[in-house]
Amino acid sequence: MKAPVKHLITAAFAAVTLVAAPLALAADLTDVGAIDQAAIGSMPAFVSANGQLAQYKAGLDRQFAVAIKGAHSAADQQRVAQSFQQKLLDRQRTVMGPLFARAQTAIASVSSSKNLSVVVDKRIVIFGGQDITKNVMDLLTSPGAIVPPVSTPPPSEVGYVDQAAIDKIPKLKAASEDFAKYDNDQKIAARQQMAKAKTDADRKAIFENYNKTVGAQRDKVLKPLVDQTQSVIADIAKKKNLILVIDKGDLIYGGTDITSDVQNALK
Amino acid sequence: MSKMLSSNRRAVAIVLCTIAFAACSKTVDVHSPQVRGVGYVRLDEILKKHPLYGQLSQIDSNIDALSLRALGPAVPKTGAEIARETQQLNAELRAAQARANDQLRARQNDFSQREQAAIRAAVVAAGENPGAAPAQAMQNTAAAQAASVTAQANSDFGKYQQAVLGQDQAAVTAVSRQLEARAERQYRQRADELSAKESQASLEMATRDSAQRISLRAKLNNLALDDALRAQVKAQLAALDRKESDAVATMRKNDSTTLAAYQAQLRAQTSADIAKQAGAIHDQTKAKLAARHASVSSQVTSVIQSLGAPAASSGSLSAATQTKIAQIDRQYKEQFKAEVGKTMADYNRTRTDLDARFAELHGVNATSQSSAARQLDALHRQRDQLYNQIVAQIQHEVQTIATARGLKVVFINLVAPVGGIDLTADAMKDVESLHE
Repeated sequence: MKAPVKHLITAAFAAVTLVAAPLALAADLTDVGAIDQAAIGSMPAFVSANGQLAQYKAGLDRQFAVAIKGAHSAADQQRVAQSFQQKLLDRQRTVMGPLFARAQTAIASVSSSKNLSVVVDKRIVIFGGQDITKNVMDLLTSPGAIVPPVSTPPPSEVGYVDQAAIDKIPKLKAASEDFAKYDNDQKIAARQQMAKAKTDADRKAIFENYNKTVGAQRDKVLKPLVDQTQSVIADIAKKKNLILVIDKGDLIYGGTDITSDVQNALK
Repeated sequence: MSKMLSSNRRAVAIVLCTIAFAACSKTVDVHSPQVRGVGYVRLDEILKKHPLYGQLSQIDSNIDALSLRALGPAVPKTGAEIARETQQLNAELRAAQARANDQLRARQNDFSQREQAAIRAAVVAAGENPGAAPAQAMQNTAAAQAASVTAQANSDFGKYQQAVLGQDQAAVTAVSRQLEARAERQYRQRADELSAKESQASLEMATRDSAQRISLRAKLNNLALDDALRAQVKAQLAALDRKESDAVATMRKNDSTTLAAYQAQLRAQTSADIAKQAGAIHDQTKAKLAARHASVSSQVTSVIQSLGAPAASSGSLSAATQTKIAQIDRQYKEQFKAEVGKTMADYNRTRTDLDARFAELHGVNATSQSSAARQLDALHRQRDQLYNQIVAQIQHEVQTIATARGLKVVFINLVAPVGGIDLTADAMKDVESLHE
């Protein structure tokens, strides 16, 4: 009697072990960090740099107003606008560049010390993850140079795509431009109707009609492409064993870039 | 032995239960390789289930509608465009006046004939001579006067409106010029002050260093000075010049920053002053036009009222027939007045619309534009506050769900959730329960 029971117990434990096997094989994703970028941006060094940049831009705007008056052709105007845009970018690079570089090093250093494979914007994390904002701020305010980590971030199962680059794929760009033109035409027509509308009820009807027309066009022109893009991203992510994909705009450090794979698949 | 057996049986039961649970449970294992403790929610969809979403959506609609309306008439027009559109509006106004007058005349003739027929029928029914009935029961003259006075009053109002709008434009332009000139003077004055200070400082430095400079120059004039010493003195002299020019340059840079800030401040102040003064001028214009409009309306109304005078009686008819005729006259006049009232109301609606378009064309509604911008600001603030409140509640619900299910991290609005567990439905249920 004893022996069969013992065998039964052994068999039962074996079964439990088999059922629970994936548990042991797959560890939970704990190497995800998050940063509150607004908090970093409100640090005195960043505030002061932004102030300098704003002041420089105000001066540049005045110079631009004078310079553009002297540009008579469209080409001249474009040249003047580009030249001022470049000046602003150069100053931005000079003023903000060193601060961004220091912040990047601080983030990399903290991430490395906490074994994080990816750091994202805190706005997309609603629960959990490791908030490293304070650690990064402490490091940023410490005197002297910040020592960068020796190693690059480990491979991450969190992927990312540069949505802006995806949007530049010819067929997506064309669809997006067509829609923008349609939206603009509808807006102009709605504004003209608004100007003649006599009552609030008329205005409401015009606005609702505008929304309905533009919404229908969006569903017709953009939605199929958005769905196709998402499907392609999901397929590539599966092949690369990623667990999720975020937009590059929400990524701060690490992650796995699948933008080029998505671009190639969509071409 | 039996105790041991019983204990073994219990163990078996527990193990079998565990297996059964593991096999039958439909709950997703959050630690499986597909999930790995990761959850995600589609925030936009949960938002729609929140009890306050209706309010949020209403604010969004108001913002969109106001943006569309506020952006519309703000497109600047050229003088020629304004003149052309003014001409067009005037033509529309004249057409509306002519339409109203034609309608009044047609109504007047119609009522007059119908009243005449009703009176004749009443006289014949009373067995009296139809030739003794008043020849023209309806006061055509008064009705024609009413139409003429209305047309004249509207024409006068049109001229008055254009004159007042012209004055409004001229006043706003003059005020803008004055305020801009004042700002320019203030800026020049500050620039001159700073420039004078720079010159003064430069002079003071030169005076302070003059003794040293003379001494160094004197050394340079010494012919016996060897090359090394000469170079050294030259370097000292150059350093002295550089020190002064650097100090002046620093001062100029600081002054330039000060001036830029001052100019920005002046610009903001001038824009605010112009907007304030233009608002006051526009308000006066609106008040003047509203007062004249009210006066014209009351003038027209009193003329229409005068149509109520009784028809002239005929002495050859019996008292009973004359009473009957007076009754018919009253009845038709009342009906005619009602018709005139309707025609005038239609005309006034067109007039009000044209007035608004005049005002818009001539920039009188600039204040209502800035009021729309203020409303937009307030709506955006209200929206942000409400949105943050809703998201905080959703976050709380998601945190509770994630903790209960043993998740490690939960994301929102992913580009593509390949693995992980979707908590959207659970969160929606919890958020919906906030209604209860």
